[in-house]
Amino acid sequence: MSYSALTKTVETVPAAPKPVSRWRQILRDLALIPVIVIVFIVGAVFVPNFATPNNIVSNILSVSAVLGVAVVAQSIVLIGGYFDLSAQSVIGLAPMLMVWLYTTDGGVGVVSNPWLAILSALVLGAIVGLVNGLLVGRLGMNAFIVTLAMLILLQGFTLGISGGQTFTDLPPAVAALGFANVLGIPVDVLILVLVVAIAAVFMRFAPTGRRIYAMGGNKEAARAAGINTLRMTIGLFIFSGVVAAFAGLMLSARIAAVTSSQGNNIIFTVFAAAVIGGISLDGGKGTIIGAATGVLLLGMIQNILVLSAVPSFWIDATYGAIILGALLIGSPQVRGMFSKLIPARMRR
Amino acid sequence: MTTVEGRPETQRTALRLEGITKRFGTTLALDSVSMEVAEGEVRALLGRNGAGKSTLISVVTGLLTPEEGTLAFPAGEEDGLRSDQRVACVYQKSTLVPYLTAAENIVLDAYPKNRAGLVDWKAAREKARSLLDEWGAEDIVDALVEDLEPLQRKIVEVCRALGTGARILLLDEPTAGLDGDATRTLFHRMSELTRQGITIIYVSHYLEEVFEVCRTVTIVRDGRVVMTDSLEGLRVPDLVDAMVGEEAAARESQVPALEPADPDDAPILSVSRLGIDDVVTDFSVEIRPGECVGLVGLEGSGLFEAARAIAGLDRYDQGAISVRGRPVPRGDVMRAIRAGIGFLPEDRHASGFVPEMANEENATISVLNRLTSRIGLIRPSARRAVYADLSSAWEIKQSSFDQYTKELSGGNQQKVALARAFASKPDVLVLANPTAGVDVSAKASIVESIAARVASDRTACLIVSTDESEFEPCSRVLIMYRGRLIGELEAPWTEHVLAAAVQGDLGESQGAFENPETTES
Repeated sequence: MSYSALTKTVETVPAAPKPVSRWRQILRDLALIPVIVIVFIVGAVFVPNFATPNNIVSNILSVSAVLGVAVVAQSIVLIGGYFDLSAQSVIGLAPMLMVWLYTTDGGVGVVSNPWLAILSALVLGAIVGLVNGLLVGRLGMNAFIVTLAMLILLQGFTLGISGGQTFTDLPPAVAALGFANVLGIPVDVLILVLVVAIAAVFMRFAPTGRRIYAMGGNKEAARAAGINTLRMTIGLFIFSGVVAAFAGLMLSARIAAVTSSQGNNIIFTVFAAAVIGGISLDGGKGTIIGAATGVLLLGMIQNILVLSAVPSFWIDATYGAIILGALLIGSPQVRGMFSKLIPARMRR
Repeated sequence: MTTVEGRPETQRTALRLEGITKRFGTTLALDSVSMEVAEGEVRALLGRNGAGKSTLISVVTGLLTPEEGTLAFPAGEEDGLRSDQRVACVYQKSTLVPYLTAAENIVLDAYPKNRAGLVDWKAAREKARSLLDEWGAEDIVDALVEDLEPLQRKIVEVCRALGTGARILLLDEPTAGLDGDATRTLFHRMSELTRQGITIIYVSHYLEEVFEVCRTVTIVRDGRVVMTDSLEGLRVPDLVDAMVGEEAAARESQVPALEPADPDDAPILSVSRLGIDDVVTDFSVEIRPGECVGLVGLEGSGLFEAARAIAGLDRYDQGAISVRGRPVPRGDVMRAIRAGIGFLPEDRHASGFVPEMANEENATISVLNRLTSRIGLIRPSARRAVYADLSSAWEIKQSSFDQYTKELSGGNQQKVALARAFASKPDVLVLANPTAGVDVSAKASIVESIAARVASDRTACLIVSTDESEFEPCSRVLIMYRGRLIGELEAPWTEHVLAAAVQGDLGESQGAFENPETTES
């Protein structure tokens, strides 16, 4: 065959758009670092007790642990092109089911084995995820509305089985999670770091992680490339449910109780942290490290608001305003507008 | 330009184009096009892809403004319409809102209002009813469009188009998706419309239809009108001649076809009697090592459905597919890949690649399992090595392997999609529209690369396309017509022969299958 001998054509490449190199990618992952540094400096200068190791580890990080774990799971679902609003209700219902089955003090107390009780919480998360996954993946229903309905349903269940009470008779292993520490570092902080590290490696280097990106980026292309998108969709929701259940256990451990309003409103913060951290709601975009920086930023801001003199009734409003501000700073359009204000020679 | 003979002197001209010229950058899309259509006439507007047909339609409907030339509507000068309202257009792709009723869809762009400024539903339904009535379809006024039959939807589209008062109707592939009965009904209604003085411009790939409904034809090629004539006395090959042109018709392929397979070799790919609903019937093919076979047909003839079924993307109802004698599980792309089938989807933007993903990743996404270390993580160096080979084999122009595929030119995007199909080192290749939407030089480079790889790897290759120029490496080409294989041509052939064959016209050539089942039609 003489094909190589045939005309080698020189292709005219159209004006090439700016390439995204690996370094640019990494820089984009860490785009929030300057903001985090600024917030840290502001906190250190103006807020007493902010920049102490104890505050950073046992307040900022420890308080962020539950949020962080939930954000990692939600980010993976978002990268795959879906939503899971019901995560919030699983954070409430999973520990509630556990304690309701376990304790005789207000619950039914039918499961006396604490590990079995913990397992039931995780199984609940898996079942909720399976149902979500089947409705979204198999029946093609909209993930937003399916998981919203699930959220309302499960939150109702939590209130129903608890009768509005707070339970404090936790299985010992869960109770221990709340005050255990290794070398002075709370276990939940270690869990957060571990979850972020594993998820980051998984999403970057595991074949399944890359397939999740491909599915979120272009589902049809993923399917044509041999990715079983149905199985992966169901798997994503099950994963999300189990991790949310685990995050619920962490939250109960922290407050040494299960309340009937546990987890309420956390989903808003979860989405805010993920999006500020660069996760796209359109799917296929963003990284776990980016999402983790979003968690860190929100954790620091919340801590500053608590420590500073902001009246407690105004904390939520202030927090919301700051999230909005962070989104504006992160928006490419806004950045484009600002860069126009700076003379071209200074931009180089 | 010849004038249409036999036109009564009294008939007025509905549409007149004179010297229309339109450029896109340096490309001359329309070169001094002139055309005249009489009131109540049904005019076929034909041309191959890229001939300038779409540009001409856009000029007539007012979407594009030509640089030179005039557009006039002499017959309708007194009715007070804007020129962009004079031509009503019904495109192949539905523009209806599925969850609204037929009536609301018809009045969508001009809701009748009452004095309070709210929608006057009574008037809206009256208007829709009177339009639908002419089609004998007034009973669908309150039906939701999503519940309607394909023909009824087409009727709703036509009614909406004519609801604005336009007297010229442009129908773009109106019979796509309609079965035989619905098509006949549509044609019948069209002739009634013309009796009311509506002028119809009819665009279709199915040349047989043109003879059924049109009286005259205008054919464009390379941005010029090459023929305007009465259809009386003409036959399908005459139209094909004009569409293809003498040069292209005489030109044989520039890349030599691969050698025909050795009949003693056992086939690698065997597809036997594949059937998908009423879309594909009895599709069989055997491809031997180092052989490249073409599958040509019109859009909607079922060829892409057959390709997707072989690739495992769609399920099929009947038949069997095997690679090297082993059956391939149906409806599972990953297992088809493991069985040795590599697939290039027909539309790269829809399913060829993930836009915001590195080229390296897009090309290797199907073979990640082969690139992992013992703990199950991807070895970046292994992936890079695989992609480096693919990238040089396909001569992909990129700033780095990490560059997002969406940032590449169309030709290089297509090469990434092709690299993905080849990444698994498949025994069988199913390549749909391998050079669709790429420029001439990229096209040549892609075709050469495909031929070279098929020859050197001794793979079995099936090229599936609606474009007659994509079969250069093929030693034979199968012709699909309305869901069935009607014949096979051996290289060399001319584009003219292929263009006629996809119309169901194999002429005197020996390639027609003697299929007792097809004689009924």
